[in-house]
Amino acid sequence: MSEFHKLRVVTRYEFLKHLRRKRLYIVLGVALVTEVVVLILVPVLMEGYPDNVVVMAALLSIGPSLAAFGGVFLAGDAIAGEFEGKTGYILFPNPVRRITLVVGKYLACCAAVTLLIVFVYAIVSISLFAIYGEVLLETAKSFGLCLLYAGSVLSVTFFFSSISKGAMGATVIALVFIIVISGVIDGILMMAGQPHWFMLSTNQDSIVLVYGGYELFMEGFMPGGMLPFEIETPDINLSILSMVIYMVAGFVLSAWISKRRQLG
Amino acid sequence: MNSSSDRTHGPIVIESLSKYYNKFLALDNLSLRIEDNENIGLLGPNGAGKSTTLKILCGLLRPSSGAAYIDGINVLEKPEQALSRIGAVVETPEFYPFFTPKEILNYLGRLRGMQGDRLRRRIEEVIGLVGLKEWVTVKVEKFSRGMKQRLGVAQALLHDPPILILDEPALGLDPRGMVEFREIIEKVGKEKTVFFASHQLVEVAQICKTVAIIDHGRLLAYDDIAQLERKYQSLERAYLELTGGSL
Repeated sequence: MSEFHKLRVVTRYEFLKHLRRKRLYIVLGVALVTEVVVLILVPVLMEGYPDNVVVMAALLSIGPSLAAFGGVFLAGDAIAGEFEGKTGYILFPNPVRRITLVVGKYLACCAAVTLLIVFVYAIVSISLFAIYGEVLLETAKSFGLCLLYAGSVLSVTFFFSSISKGAMGATVIALVFIIVISGVIDGILMMAGQPHWFMLSTNQDSIVLVYGGYELFMEGFMPGGMLPFEIETPDINLSILSMVIYMVAGFVLSAWISKRRQLG
Repeated sequence: MNSSSDRTHGPIVIESLSKYYNKFLALDNLSLRIEDNENIGLLGPNGAGKSTTLKILCGLLRPSSGAAYIDGINVLEKPEQALSRIGAVVETPEFYPFFTPKEILNYLGRLRGMQGDRLRRRIEEVIGLVGLKEWVTVKVEKFSRGMKQRLGVAQALLHDPPILILDEPALGLDPRGMVEFREIIEKVGKEKTVFFASHQLVEVAQICKTVAIIDHGRLLAYDDIAQLERKYQSLERAYLELTGGSL
């Protein structure tokens, strides 16, 4: 039996695990509620939807961003859970390479998050079409960036899952790293006028910034697009490079650590 | 056959195995050779190194030194090849709670290259064997410890491996479950090599002809139960005297 066949089996059953668990639906629910809130509050607070479809598209990109970020909750226990929950005692004594198990788990997480993102982008597209009668090409670009961001979030979370004793710990560390540490450093670099394209939080912004600069996005909240200080909109290409690095490095490290990790 | 393959020949060969957990020595130069179709009980007090030995054989732990072979295959060098020869129950098995026994056995069977009618029939057989027929489509989250133990035995037998490695397999079973388990192992043990760790001397004596007694990671005795009984009057007395206890 080839390792590729085993990989297909692992991916299939890991994906089935995601479908059976509540957290996939909770993340989906949060993303959908966010979209509904945007669709309801924007016309209420701004006396109608923005004239510019691009502004509304940018505002609706918050939901997909959240869906991609929700990958943390799917991946947090991917590796740590096998050790903490002792399910590894059943899974690991099978004639399957540890790397195959990690790749299968990663692909299953990617499939689950992609499902979420596709669903939320469908809502975005339907909403834009219903309100403005058009769907933007940039929405497809935003979709691609969102998938890439989800991949980098999953890899970073897999890394923390591979080094953590518990699933909850891995999830919390990943959240702290992505929101707090990355967010704070990003904010400081941004205000200091230094490059910050390599921070995950900036990379997340690229999902929205594909529609235009920060000013355009802020127009959704503050007509006129006034910002308290001048911010240079990061280069999308550099964000793509950054996300690819997070995705590859995080995954390679998690696979290497998982292979060496013992189940005592 | 050269001397190296002679040395490692046999279903299970443990060669000068040592294992440190930081500074704690769990296994101290342990060597053991198990012959074909033998049922061997691994006895020892808590912390003697029983589980560590079995976990090394299952590729879950790496020894600090020494080697372990399954069917002549080095577990450390070719773990996938070695693991394809065994079925194992290590500690109290835990399963993904949102899967049913049928789904779990399907998953593990497919990982071992089984599929189609063969897998379906084999799942029915092992589920029947461990008495979980009525629970086959119930999610494992509703299972008691004893039921998980039964499912653990089922997954170990699923692919009909020539070697069974079992760590306290009767733990958590009710009296009826223990009797049924003993019958299962007695039945499959006629055609397989069974290496199992237990605290239950009575259970071991009923299933095995030979025992290995270890303590502090060292092999204290490896002999027929009949021999030990002749020498120490009973298996219980042999166990207590060898492990430093008293009657």
